[in-house]
Amino acid sequence: MDKCGMYLGCNIPFKAPDIEQSFYKVFPALGIEVVDMEGATCCPAWGTAPSFDVDTWLAVSGRNITIAEQKNVDIMTGCNSCFGVLSEARHMINHDPERKKTVDRNLGLINRKFQGTSEIYHVSHVLYKNIGVDKIKENITHPLTDLKIAVQPGCHILWPSEVMAVKEKNSFFPTILKELCQALGADVPHYSKLNACCGMGAMRSTDQVRSLGLVKDKLISMQEEIAPDMIVTTCSSCYLQFDGAQKILREKGEIDFQIPVFYYTQLLALCMGFDPKQVAAISETPRDAIIQKIQGATRLVN
Amino acid sequence: MAAINLTKMDKKEVIQKVIENGGTGITKCIQCNACASVCPVAKAGFPLYGRLLFRKLQTGHFEEIIEDSSSWACQACNRCTEICPRDAKPFEMVFAFRRMQANELAISTSAFTPLMNLHATGHAVYSEASKDLRVSVGLSPEPVTSISSEEAQQEMRTLLDNSPMGELGIF
Amino acid sequence: MAKVGVYVCHCGSNIGGVVDVEDVCKHAETLSDVVVSRQNLFMCSDPGQEIIRQDINNGLVDKVVVAACTPRTHEPIFRKVLEGEGLNKYLFEMANIRDQDSWVHANDKAGATAKAKQIVASAVAKARNLQPLEDKYVDVTKAALVIGGGVAGIFAALDLANMGNKVYLVEKEPSIGGVMAQLDKTFPTNDCSACILTPVMVDAGTHPNIELLTYSEIDSVEGYIGNFDVKIRRKQAYVDWEKCTGCGACADACPAKTPDAFNAGLNNRGAAYIHFPQAVPKKAVIDMTHCINCGGRKIGSEPKISKKTGNPILAPCEKACPAGAINRSVAVDEGGRIMDVKVGAIVVATGYKVMEKENFKNLAPDSPNVLTALQLERLISATGPTGGQFLRPGDGKKPHTISFLSCVGSRDERHHTHCSRVCCMYMIKQAKLLKEKYPDLEIYMHFMDVRTPGKDFDEYYTGAIDMGINIIRGRVGGIDTLPEGNLRVMGYDSDLAANIEIDADLVVLATAIELQDDIKPFAQKLSLTLDGSGFFKELHPKLKPVDTPVEGIFLAGCCQGPKDIPDTVAQAKGAAASAAVPLSQGRVRINPTISEVNQEKCSGCGICEPLCPYAAISMIENVAGHPRARIEMTQCKGCGVCTTACPSTAIQLYGYTEDQIMAQICALTA
Ligand SMILES: Cc1cc2nc3c(=O)[nH]c(=O)nc-3n(C[C@H](O)[C@H](O)[C@H](O)COP(=O)(O)OP(=O)(O)OC[C@H]3O[C@@H](n4cnc5c(N)ncnc54)[C@H](O)[C@@H]3O)c2cc1C
Ligand code: SF4
Ligand code: SF4
Ligand code: SF4
Ligand code: SF4
Repeated sequence: MDKCGMYLGCNIPFKAPDIEQSFYKVFPALGIEVVDMEGATCCPAWGTAPSFDVDTWLAVSGRNITIAEQKNVDIMTGCNSCFGVLSEARHMINHDPERKKTVDRNLGLINRKFQGTSEIYHVSHVLYKNIGVDKIKENITHPLTDLKIAVQPGCHILWPSEVMAVKEKNSFFPTILKELCQALGADVPHYSKLNACCGMGAMRSTDQVRSLGLVKDKLISMQEEIAPDMIVTTCSSCYLQFDGAQKILREKGEIDFQIPVFYYTQLLALCMGFDPKQVAAISETPRDAIIQKIQGATRLVN
Repeated sequence: MAAINLTKMDKKEVIQKVIENGGTGITKCIQCNACASVCPVAKAGFPLYGRLLFRKLQTGHFEEIIEDSSSWACQACNRCTEICPRDAKPFEMVFAFRRMQANELAISTSAFTPLMNLHATGHAVYSEASKDLRVSVGLSPEPVTSISSEEAQQEMRTLLDNSPMGELGIF
Repeated sequence: MAKVGVYVCHCGSNIGGVVDVEDVCKHAETLSDVVVSRQNLFMCSDPGQEIIRQDINNGLVDKVVVAACTPRTHEPIFRKVLEGEGLNKYLFEMANIRDQDSWVHANDKAGATAKAKQIVASAVAKARNLQPLEDKYVDVTKAALVIGGGVAGIFAALDLANMGNKVYLVEKEPSIGGVMAQLDKTFPTNDCSACILTPVMVDAGTHPNIELLTYSEIDSVEGYIGNFDVKIRRKQAYVDWEKCTGCGACADACPAKTPDAFNAGLNNRGAAYIHFPQAVPKKAVIDMTHCINCGGRKIGSEPKISKKTGNPILAPCEKACPAGAINRSVAVDEGGRIMDVKVGAIVVATGYKVMEKENFKNLAPDSPNVLTALQLERLISATGPTGGQFLRPGDGKKPHTISFLSCVGSRDERHHTHCSRVCCMYMIKQAKLLKEKYPDLEIYMHFMDVRTPGKDFDEYYTGAIDMGINIIRGRVGGIDTLPEGNLRVMGYDSDLAANIEIDADLVVLATAIELQDDIKPFAQKLSLTLDGSGFFKELHPKLKPVDTPVEGIFLAGCCQGPKDIPDTVAQAKGAAASAAVPLSQGRVRINPTISEVNQEKCSGCGICEPLCPYAAISMIENVAGHPRARIEMTQCKGCGVCTTACPSTAIQLYGYTEDQIMAQICALTA
């Protein structure tokens, strides 16, 4: 693969466009052409069509996939939720002939046809499988030596492993993101709540207090067990939760620390020397200090 | 709570509904609680998480629980599906119940905003403010998605209007 | 002209509830040569049999058709009726209108009745053409083979030997004993496993009728009940067992390291090793796949001579052995040697294995403090890696809090749907033993539900509750790994109706009982089949629990399904008794429904020879020197493959001759 359809979803282009910008910076630099998926819509989010009617879900997901098919590319998503929704939809369409028939009928209304030729990948899969940690190592100019990262792979990239094109060796003790962060030179210790849910998504809109309870548990596990310099995730929802929730929890007096949060490609872009004003500019939890540390002159190699 | 007279519960009908809505594992669940033990919904303290919900449904409860919002807290994380020893696909059962609720419009009003957004723009999450944000990081005000394509938005509306969701009259 | 009697059975409501028996009976009367047609609620009952008896006795019928259930279970019963009345028992035909009709067409009564008429007509057509056949007999070799030297194999061998039979007891490991030898104590009485097993192992090892063939495997099995030809591969031990005294000096000297399977991989052993301290026979072997050849020379080459001393430089194992049992200069066959034995009956007692923890990704398999229950047995055993001290493998610390997880890999569609039957009890045993010894231990047991349906078992379980062991109903979904090697068990307490967490120092997984990975090729050697759960399939789950589809081969112990020691021993004794039947009869009957070559018609083309799945056909020369096919009656199973292949129609399958089958087809297509 030297090119891949960039499926943006909703959160990234509208809430965290600096993540989107980081994709456009790092992928071409690492040899992957980012192909636009014009006219792509919401995946559709779990709380919309999937919560009403399976066939409507599959039609909307199917439509998104056909955009990549027409361009002869696979899809990479930057959001775990989108990845989960699209992967499950694709799996269902491919494995349930009845559903497939209905999808064909529905997509027929808009003159599209689902072929099943495009695979669904996550940004982290492309980084790990197609680019590889070695190439990442070679391309960074500002390594994270002496910095400690708590990783947050997020749920939808792990389960149900049955439907995923790329699988962790053990989805309950995932290592892909850890290895990606280690490639940047950081120390990535294990913390006990590694695979726990951050509470974002549907739970956050259903009951904020309970949702914050989950992210607080995770934050405390990170802080007490490894006291990281930053939290790194490859899920835009997790990113928004960790970034936004810390502010609220601090205001409520439930935590007394704050840990900067990055989406992985933002951090990678920083390590490659890209401008933080473009690739890591929007956050609730301050990250100026750590960005300065990362891109400080002392760290520059070669 | 008074005793539940199971002989008077309409078990068959509820189970059939769950299956029709995609929860095909409902009769397989043996109430082992593995799903509950790791479920974020249960851990966060919502009252009607996986295993308990499945038992309610197996025993013909629907009207009694239709207003409970726990199912809407399901993260679709699928950790339950990964470990269920009966391969009952608990996540799909939770969502089947959600669909049963949704089709009776027993959902919170806040759930409607993303739906309206989806119908109007093709995106469940959208705000005008994003334009400035995007420009500030060096991007075009709008991404190349449906937000900048009237044709794509029309396709989305065709799909939604012709679906059972369209028939609910929510758009 | 034949006088056919037709007897239609209701089989209670099994047939009568669907098929109009009256109507079938009436129809049968219209068929050629049928002289009488009768019905009964249960034809196999005494009164039912009596009806047939009287008709034969009165000279009314000379061929019998029973339309009822399956010949597999009931043909022998009715054949005996014919025999009893002096009629050749092969003048009998069974029409299966239950399994093949009423059961499968339960919702279509009219259709089922019509089909029953056809099946009966076909059976009658065949019966009209039946010819008397004579049983044949062959002598039996009065010796038995027992495969597997666990507690099942040991007891089967001892019983057979005590009845005066020669027994070959084949065990693939260097010692007999099986899993029971690895156990610390045994439920429900908590007696020490070694204390009760070792004496029986010694009995088996010293019995004059038992030839103990350990470190051996079955190469091939040919033949049939009464006369099996077995090739046994005696694996190469690289130690002269005639000389080895079992002192263990070689094992102590060997620097190689490989996980010690007897200790469930908790520690390492050398390449030269003795299976375990109470091994029978207590002999050393060198496991050549793990020998690092530290002496620096291949087996069968002369040692280098030391320049200093002028003495040969020996490998540590050779040097250490005071009995001179190890000599690496001798070229030996690494494949071992083949031993041929002839036996009349075989007992398969190859036991089981437990699933490894690596299969359970959500249960922190990489943590050294997550153990399988079998590993825990070794950890608390006096002969185990810690000498019985209860210290956890990760860091040698004494655990304070333990969680036991039930049904790991059992009752789980991702692994095995069966219940492993012994784990509830052995977990309770392990918990009680630990709690007795260390009263301060906090023990949590997570069950799906507690299964203790044995004699004195439930009392054993409630005793654990009395001791303060926490019983929790709810399957554990995951384990988080905490700093310092501890584990957080994510469970659910069904009775509290709440999620619970246990911070444990040690987690024990009751992993499922399953058969060995290489069981399929082994089963093929014996022509045995496996059931849905992957265990050896018995001939009938209720009535033939130790028999197999291969006559003369019997099952004992966990290879047939998970079971505890009491059930294993009981089944072993049952298998021994069943295996002794042909041995004590002295001869076995050969079914006459087998194929024969008409030497006059055979053209000697040889087409049939390679087709026979039982290698029963050989080409011989007739008096004129022409090739002719010949079928060995003891080997032919009557499958009929050769019959259909012979271009000269020279092969006849008795009981299924061409005219009989054609008559059936005509009746069915009429
Ligand atoms: C952790 C644990 C604890 C237990 N505790 C108890 C307890 O307290 N009380 C109780 O009643 N039961 C207990 N059991 C059950 C008990 O282990 C079994 O009932 C018993 O071991 C079954 O004996 P077996 O002879 O059928 O099988 P095994 O003990 O497995 O013996 C089979 C033998 O056959 C050999 N073999 C295998 N394949 C071949 C081959 N192809 N050729 C030659 N030889 C072969 C094997 O090497 C082995 O020696 C426990 C089980 C486990 C896992
Ligand atoms: S894990 Fe599966 S069987 Fe167990 S309670 Fe949940 S849905 Fe039911
Ligand atoms: S998918 Fe939903 S029900 Fe299943 S574990 Fe995740 S949050 Fe719970
Ligand atoms: S040569 Fe002997 S001592 Fe050396 S590794 Fe091999 S078995 Fe062990
Ligand atoms: S014996 Fe008990 S622990 Fe073992 S599989 Fe059966 S129920 Fe589960």
